[in-house]
Amino acid sequence: MLQIFKISGDSLYPFYKNGQRVLCKKVSQRTKIKVNDTIVFEKPSYGMMIKRVTSIYNNSYFVEGTDPISIDSRNFGALKFDEIQYKVIFKI
Amino acid sequence: MFNLKEVKAHCDVPCGIYDPSAAQIAALSVIRMVDLMNAASNEHDVAYHNDMARYVAVKESEAIKCKEEIRIIWGDFIKPPHLEMHPEIHTIVHKIMMLGGAAKQHVSREKAMELLAEVNAFAAIFWKIKGVETKVVKAPYAPNEDVVYPVL
Repeated sequence: MLQIFKISGDSLYPFYKNGQRVLCKKVSQRTKIKVNDTIVFEKPSYGMMIKRVTSIYNNSYFVEGTDPISIDSRNFGALKFDEIQYKVIFKI
Repeated sequence: MFNLKEVKAHCDVPCGIYDPSAAQIAALSVIRMVDLMNAASNEHDVAYHNDMARYVAVKESEAIKCKEEIRIIWGDFIKPPHLEMHPEIHTIVHKIMMLGGAAKQHVSREKAMELLAEVNAFAAIFWKIKGVETKVVKAPYAPNEDVVYPVL
């Protein structure tokens, strides 16, 4: 299943700018998530977020923005695979 | 075929509360202290020294506050896309840092006014980034100088 998201914020600048639209694919158990993939997930109190996978360890996915003060795994820890909802395919 | 959803790529604690008005008030306070120091009596009695010490202390702290408020907005709110649109921000902020220091060193109304002018220039850019119109008005209190305010 495909989904288009509009990005709000600049924590992934210059790879993705505020207002950028991206086409994403729903993650299933068969989906492979690699380092440098950009993924969409939901965190309570933050809502739907988009970040880049910077490391994978023991089925935990550490995500970060490019901005030093990005809200990401440095704040809320690594993600479990089940938390990942979409994977970015390409920019629109 | 597709419905568009929003996804966040936010930075910092997402309170979003940034406002240059605190820096503008601090710059106005520096001018006010300079005016009070220049208007102080020539009788160098105890009251004079007490007043002068207070004016100096407030001028010092307000100049520091002005610099700090601008530094926070510049460092936390201003992002690379904003710099692409307003590359002059770095120069304006550097001038504010220099003039804030000069405001502490000197009792110069001219330099204090330069500080306010640069802080106003920064405020105008800040509100433009936020998509908020601005207007220039006289502060409704001494020293009654021009300030850039958002039209809300």
